[in-house]
Amino acid sequence: MALKKDVYKEFESVVGEENICDDPAIMPAYYSNKFAAVILPGNTAEVQAVVKLCNKHKLVFRPICTGWSGMFPPDIILMDLRRMNHIIEINEKNMYAVVEPYVISSQLQAELFKRGLNFCIKGAGTNCTAMLRGHGHMDQTTSGDDRNHLAIEWVTPEGDIVRSGALGSSDEWFCGDGPGPSIRSILTSAVPPGVTPGVFTKAAVKLYHWPGPSEFPIAGHSPKYVLSEIPANMMARYYSFPSVEKMWQAEIGLGEAEVCYELMGFNAAMVAANITTCNEEDEAMFNRLNKEVQGPGFFVIIAGNSPADFAYKKKVLEKIVEEAGGKSLKTLEDPELEGIIMCQCIRISASIRETFRPGGAFNSIPIMGQRDLTIKWAIGAGEAKKPLIEKGLIVDDGGAFFGWGVEQGHLGKTEIFCKYSPSNPTAKAAVETWQREQNRRAFEERYFASTMGPQDEIGPALCNYSQWWSKVVKALDPNGVSPEGGSLV
Amino acid sequence: MGLEQYKGDMEMCCRCSACKFIPMQKVKGHQYAYVCPSISRYNFHAYSAGGRLNIGAAMLKDGMKYTDKLLDIVYNCQLCGACGVSCNYAMDMEVLEPINEFRIKCVEDKKTHPALDKIIANLKKQGSMIPGAKGKRGAWAAGLKIKDATKEKVDVLYHVGCLTSYDKNLQKLAKATAKILQKAGVNFGIAGDAEMCCGGRAYQMGYPKEFLNQAKKNMAMIKKAGVKTVVTSCADGYQAFKVLYDRFDLKGELKVLHISEYIDKLIRDGKLKPRRKVEMAATYHDPCRLGRLGEPWVHWEGKKIPGDRFVFDPPKPYRRGANGVYEPPRDVLKAIPGLKFTEMTRIKEYSWCCGAGGGVIESNPEFAKWTARERIEEAVSTGAEALVTACPWCEKIFNEAIKESGSSLKVYDIVELVEKAI
Ligand code: SF4
Ligand code: SF4
Repeated sequence: MALKKDVYKEFESVVGEENICDDPAIMPAYYSNKFAAVILPGNTAEVQAVVKLCNKHKLVFRPICTGWSGMFPPDIILMDLRRMNHIIEINEKNMYAVVEPYVISSQLQAELFKRGLNFCIKGAGTNCTAMLRGHGHMDQTTSGDDRNHLAIEWVTPEGDIVRSGALGSSDEWFCGDGPGPSIRSILTSAVPPGVTPGVFTKAAVKLYHWPGPSEFPIAGHSPKYVLSEIPANMMARYYSFPSVEKMWQAEIGLGEAEVCYELMGFNAAMVAANITTCNEEDEAMFNRLNKEVQGPGFFVIIAGNSPADFAYKKKVLEKIVEEAGGKSLKTLEDPELEGIIMCQCIRISASIRETFRPGGAFNSIPIMGQRDLTIKWAIGAGEAKKPLIEKGLIVDDGGAFFGWGVEQGHLGKTEIFCKYSPSNPTAKAAVETWQREQNRRAFEERYFASTMGPQDEIGPALCNYSQWWSKVVKALDPNGVSPEGGSLV
Repeated sequence: MGLEQYKGDMEMCCRCSACKFIPMQKVKGHQYAYVCPSISRYNFHAYSAGGRLNIGAAMLKDGMKYTDKLLDIVYNCQLCGACGVSCNYAMDMEVLEPINEFRIKCVEDKKTHPALDKIIANLKKQGSMIPGAKGKRGAWAAGLKIKDATKEKVDVLYHVGCLTSYDKNLQKLAKATAKILQKAGVNFGIAGDAEMCCGGRAYQMGYPKEFLNQAKKNMAMIKKAGVKTVVTSCADGYQAFKVLYDRFDLKGELKVLHISEYIDKLIRDGKLKPRRKVEMAATYHDPCRLGRLGEPWVHWEGKKIPGDRFVFDPPKPYRRGANGVYEPPRDVLKAIPGLKFTEMTRIKEYSWCCGAGGGVIESNPEFAKWTARERIEEAVSTGAEALVTACPWCEKIFNEAIKESGSSLKVYDIVELVEKAI
């Protein structure tokens, strides 16, 4: 449905002729639906004006960042936040950075490294917005989710500008809980249906100490960038264990000892994907690593603040791994591969090679909770993948899952993928069924309640939270112009 | 086959946006992280490679739906290939090829750009890319005692290229090249008035027939002259002879070198000695078609293996930009005494385009200059006084942009500096 000419003009007067388009030719670039228009606001004031116009004309809108994911109903106003790409502030003293939505993680991280700082890079990859809330490789030290969103600037569905936390009472961004209004419970951008309606226009992300180099010494050409040397006081290793229980013993021990910069429960398939430059190499490497591992395992990076600190961390790591019967994967001890995977995990946050390269699409079930519990669920979900692998519907990764510790293992995340071809509707349908069934099983067997699970059953079991959330959304968005639907990636 | 052959590639696009940026490990900060001029200038996702592929996939499925906006997207792309390098860091799929095919399809459907039509009409008539060019193609060589390769036996044919031959401001590059080759004692010649456009730029513009026509004429002339080695001083010419002629099975055993590679070899062989000091701080711009797109063509034929993965039998080799010409021009510059060499952030396979490619300098000079200005700013940020390139099209657009912006940066072709140094 096209906008009426006068309505189009109203939007145009906000963002300028160059920054609005309703030509059908551009729509497939974004999504398979046709939108009423795509609008590129350049700042918060323009976002606010666009939102107000949407309310005036009862037009539904959705914002996007780099456009990697999201669900978009047809005929909406799509707000592409691409022009809002500034790093507003890096506050080294109070350890936060304020960014606009189209600053990607790679940009912010590179700036932070120069200052001896880092932040939580989300699993979606450093090619996605730095504002994204979620989890990633370095959660062990950089935590995840709302822990890292400090104050936020939010244009509500009605077009009011709300500044949360410390920003609500001063011009500082250091705290999400006050002294201004703490509205953490409704400011979420990670998982539907909890996606806050409206638009986040700025966020302060929490910064952490970075013991590594100000810039990695990269050599070679794409796609095979290597490190000319492993940075001082850093090491990456993959350890496999005789059993899940043993792996968990080591994981919890390492968390307690607080020696790992990163602890990522990669499976052999994901290691292979990350260190190889094409699908064929990937498959051969997967077969090789599969033979080399003795069982489940994880990948760790240690980073010392001094040679002594590094030596201590290394010693503790090796002792804990040894006690649990862990074995280092020899292939990854090759400094070239060690450097590649170190960069993949820190600078890229892996992602594309391990998700999209083989088939072009993937579906995932991500879950938070205690790792030992969620691993048990994931083993079953992995088994349930095997019939799909046998039928050739999904990529053969041996039924693998993965996961990692958050905040030195106080929390954990477990995730499982199915990778398939987007051109194969049978595969897509089979994967969606698998996803539904495994979410249901998770709930029925009381492992966790996924927001992708059977909502009609989960809601009542959890104090009808979904109804309360709907009421909150209704109050925030009386005109129903800002639907839920996907993360801000 | 056309666009159809890239259906699977286009469907592989996951809209990850990596193609908008230089490879993630190479990002050095907030600045100079973008790599695609088109999305950087026009902002709508449709102008990125990912957007283009998704549009291509949709139109392949539902039919071509031409609008003015679609054509604006199609023709505002330098076909620079930076998107492909960034995508192919992680993905196995063709990126630039379907973008180029989409443009070819537009031309086939007569949805052309008037400025490019004019260029092509002139190409057919005069055999050059420079409409309105006056005088003879080989006139610049008058009095320089250069052999006519169509009449005398030479070891090396210097293919001068359209812009360098006809543009009064750039003929100095041809003269410098000739002087260097003479000084090194190379038995070389030019085809003079018999030289024709290589056709490479026609291919980028979406006119493969016209390209092939030029390619065939050139190769016939080369065969007749018995030439075994061609040296070009234009990156477009280099890519045409080296990559495109090979792709279309026209190159045969012809050895193709860019002048920077040839000079590098002459220096290594001790035939050329840059002795005079050239005191300046300079940075080097990798022309797209000498760098990432100068990577040799890899002949391949195969079929997708049915099933879950996008893999082929035999395995498909992707040209990911690693094998372009990167070191020879740098080595030449480093061999010049007194020259202080600095690097920009976006270099080699992930270099930012000068703006002139893909017919953009003709179809949308403002966008071409905008793109050039971005590069000029990056060059200035290194502290360099001079921006050195290895293609006359880069030099032309950089100088035009500098003239408008008032920057004090100087632009040189690599041959100009070598000429000063010998
Ligand atoms: S073209 Fe490649 S890099 Fe760009 S969005 Fe598509 S998959 Fe990602
Ligand atoms: S070829 Fe160059 S200008 Fe065109 S989409 Fe790719 S990166 Fe952008």
